[in-house]
Amino acid sequence: MVRFLLNRGGQALIAVFGVVTLVFFIQRLSGDPTALLLPETATQADIEAMRVTLGLDRPMIVQYFAFLGDLIRFDLGRSYVQNADVWDIISSRIPRTLQLAGGAMAVALLIGVPVGVIMALTRGRRISKALMWLILAFQSMPTFWSGITMILVFGVWLRWLPSSGTGTFAHLIMPSIALGLLSLATYARITRSAVLDELSKDYVRSARARGVETGRLVRHHLMRNSLIPIISITALELSQLLAGAVIVETVFAWPGLGLLTVQSIAARDFLVVQAIVLLGAFVTIFANVAADILYSAVDPRVRLAGKT
Amino acid sequence: MTLKRFSLSGFLSLWPAWILLSLVVAALFAPAIVPFDPDRQNLLARLKPPGFESRGAAYFLGSDELGRDVLSRLIYGARISLAVAALSVILSGAVGILVGMAAGYLRGWSETILMRLVDIFLSIPAILLAIITVAVLGPGFINVILVLALTRWPRYARVAYGQTLAIADRPFVQLARAMGSSPWRVLAIHILPNIIGPLMVVATLEFGLMVLFEAGLSFLGLGVQPPTASWGSMMSSGRNYIATAWWITMFPGIALFLLVLSANLIGDRFSDHIGDGK
Amino acid sequence: MKHTMKGLLGAVAMIAFTLPAYAADITVDLAGEPSSLDPHLQWNPDSYYVYRNIFDNLLTRSNAGEIVPQIATSWTQLSETELELTIREGVTFHDGSSLTPEDVVFSVKRITDPEFGSPQLGQFNQITDAKVVDGNKVVLTTAGAYPALMAQLVKLSIVPQKVVEAMGKDAFNAAPVGSGPYKFNDWSRGVAVSLTRNDAYWGDAGPFDNATFRAVPDAATRVADLLAGTADLVVSIDADAGAQLSSNADVKLLSAPTERVGYMGLNLDKAPFNDLDMRKAASLAIDRLGITEGLLQAGEVPVSQMATPAHFGYSADLPLFDFDPEKAKQLTSAKADLAATPIELATAPVFDQRIVQAVQQMLNDVGFNVSISMTDMPTYLGIVRSEPSENSELSFGRWSCACQDADGIIYPTLHSDSAWSRVNLPEIDALLEEARVSLDPAVRQAAYDKVNEMVRENYYLLPMYQAAVLYGAAADLEFDPTANESMFLNRMSIVE
Repeated sequence: MVRFLLNRGGQALIAVFGVVTLVFFIQRLSGDPTALLLPETATQADIEAMRVTLGLDRPMIVQYFAFLGDLIRFDLGRSYVQNADVWDIISSRIPRTLQLAGGAMAVALLIGVPVGVIMALTRGRRISKALMWLILAFQSMPTFWSGITMILVFGVWLRWLPSSGTGTFAHLIMPSIALGLLSLATYARITRSAVLDELSKDYVRSARARGVETGRLVRHHLMRNSLIPIISITALELSQLLAGAVIVETVFAWPGLGLLTVQSIAARDFLVVQAIVLLGAFVTIFANVAADILYSAVDPRVRLAGKT
Repeated sequence: MTLKRFSLSGFLSLWPAWILLSLVVAALFAPAIVPFDPDRQNLLARLKPPGFESRGAAYFLGSDELGRDVLSRLIYGARISLAVAALSVILSGAVGILVGMAAGYLRGWSETILMRLVDIFLSIPAILLAIITVAVLGPGFINVILVLALTRWPRYARVAYGQTLAIADRPFVQLARAMGSSPWRVLAIHILPNIIGPLMVVATLEFGLMVLFEAGLSFLGLGVQPPTASWGSMMSSGRNYIATAWWITMFPGIALFLLVLSANLIGDRFSDHIGDGK
Repeated sequence: MKHTMKGLLGAVAMIAFTLPAYAADITVDLAGEPSSLDPHLQWNPDSYYVYRNIFDNLLTRSNAGEIVPQIATSWTQLSETELELTIREGVTFHDGSSLTPEDVVFSVKRITDPEFGSPQLGQFNQITDAKVVDGNKVVLTTAGAYPALMAQLVKLSIVPQKVVEAMGKDAFNAAPVGSGPYKFNDWSRGVAVSLTRNDAYWGDAGPFDNATFRAVPDAATRVADLLAGTADLVVSIDADAGAQLSSNADVKLLSAPTERVGYMGLNLDKAPFNDLDMRKAASLAIDRLGITEGLLQAGEVPVSQMATPAHFGYSADLPLFDFDPEKAKQLTSAKADLAATPIELATAPVFDQRIVQAVQQMLNDVGFNVSISMTDMPTYLGIVRSEPSENSELSFGRWSCACQDADGIIYPTLHSDSAWSRVNLPEIDALLEEARVSLDPAVRQAAYDKVNEMVRENYYLLPMYQAAVLYGAAADLEFDPTANESMFLNRMSIVE
């Protein structure tokens, strides 16, 4: 097991390194930030001068090794655009991203899992179909549309919640729902199929035959056995949440990493992009390692259920 | 476990299949059924509500911010949205399944390298790939598909990998291997037909998601190029008018819902059949 | 006893509520976060809205657009290359130290030092020297005669030498100290910058105790914030979004024509726009009035040149472009092959896509073959500034130099030196250079008149409209938008 962990962890580190290297080079294919940093009246000479100031005139490979050298010393560098240390820029965003991701996960899990259980238990009945329609309706609303609609209804019209920004728990509610709706349907469906799977097993059938009450059955047996696919899908959902967060953060002016990613890529603020990607790669890759460990700890058949 | 249970008549007995089919037909025959040229602007008839009439022609679903007919754009938008979804699912599915099967069957170093590649692509932010693809290759329909395929293939790869692992040790695969079949032959003849079911389920779910992702790309200015209509681009440009001209986003929203709904229900039917076959 | 207490409290409350200065704070929704608060380090509108309130500039413009004293109280042109400015006395920085002529010299040298790498270097590098004379005066020396100097000094913020030297570049950027009407209070990265009133300000500090500038990237959300009452002033909205505000008595729309010109850039080295008839046809096809009054509807005005009435160098007598699609069709059908050349129209998401799509349709209606190519801003800039062979045939652009002088808009878009220019004509270059170095306004105006006429006759560029700036504001906020899109808190007021 230790060997497995070391091996898998080592591979994960190499993958993180691969992501960072790939991103380092591909983002430099897409131009550089100098033209954006200068006013419209800047001449070509001004642009060249700025390129020298930023060190972007050096050969790409030199820049790459300079970046790696800094990275070894845990120095993420300075943002060209924001004139600040990259770590300072990112670190203030991490808690906000965690809050949003946590809120969205809570919405998705706390609503999605019970809905999935209900759908499984009422399979074939109208209520199951109605729930399915409902969660699919939620899933098929683009977040930029559902987000602004919520703002107009709850922020402007009813004035129950702040229309945008951060600060209080109330600020977190709408963005969490908007982001959570994306994953809610996935969780509901995974739970439904996992529970259905369990329901067809002999021990459940015999328990039911013995007259064990459904609520008790769900609490004590079904949920525990259905948890594995739910946990394993979370690794994949996490990367999807980070991607979906871009739009939610834009709409709600939520200063998380998603918004920073878009703005930094749009400004070709290379070092900030690299740092975010590094962070994101660590999280997603190690989440997948954790999921793999979970898989290998159980029957391979669970592995199948967890992936669909 | 296989698809033998599916027949065309069985498929057509599902009403979601009919919805999907009618969307496809509407998309195919768009030029014959639309009342207006979908890109035709009329600055004198901007933001008019459903039913508005101008010079004897009726805007059944209203007009958008440039005075274009929402109904015509909706029908033409079906072409782009369905094509983007179908092509990106096919492309990402083909690449992902190939990589996943190869990793699961060949094992060893190939497995390590291919699956780490999957990890790498899973953890590059989709938005980064999107912006760079557009910056390097230029914007457009083909590149939207490319962006979606680049970001989604790892999902198929992971499922195909897991399925292949579970099947590679089965006697019939071992037998084929022992008889000297080439790996490609084993993958194509023995493994693929046995794992395609769960992959089809993933594909149907992805199909709906791709339409939504194209909408997201439009929102970020990286989608199909204006004035071409897609449901996503209609919703993203119309979202500034939710309070003043709800019809611009409402109708493509309903169309999107119907598409996602039918794709998912069809996917469910697939997975139920797989479940029954166990 | 209880009653007395209650009465007392009531009385206190009465006084508190009847005092004239009820706590007046303002929250402004910007599109993005300021990228820097060091006035010498960054130049983008979001930074500029904020730091202009923390720092004083050497000169400023009144709301009517006149150049008026700020830190410099008076000025005299000593020679063609020397300007003497008298520095205001009794101005203090927020740390209590006084603003001296040495600080002015320091600020000039800081921003013009190539090593410092200011993004605004190009606007000030004509200044070769600055020195203190007579104790309270500063003399600026320019490389040659430079008539646009005064217009540039409107953008020169004065920073405290001692503080900057003690804090260093980064710390000063994170917690700037200026002499302006508002003091820096806090910068919560990614969220907001907050300022408090500088009660020791030498001029009018304005009505707000505190001001918060938030970053709200989505225009629909900014409008919603205003409607929900969580923002008092929002920037960068269009008239369609503004339509939501018209039915609500708590909010209002403010707009003003700006010095920004919306135009179509043509690639003169590539077919079809290397041909005069094609350029003329394109111009005839564009319904400028239809765009401003049918589509934009925020007070935009069609223009006949790359300048507006807000610029020095505007040719008031130049007639507007004709709109005649029939004539345009005749021109294109006479050279049908040329007109059918595929034309790529470069644009970026920050621009109003309604205009771009409208122009595309107008051009295609008369027989052109235009397709839109929208890329993100750096890619767009790369395309429109590239060599003619790699450049797109057509591009949409909006231009403002925030200097209200034709030199800042006509020179970069038409002089062969500039990366933006697709024009390479010695005659235009000579006229623009003459206007750039002459101190005689009549000579300059004559040169610009000639250039404007040449551009209009040969359609080197297609100027379309003078843009308007549109703000959404709380109904009780008084604010006069200006042509240079400035936002000075101390020029606002609250009506009761």
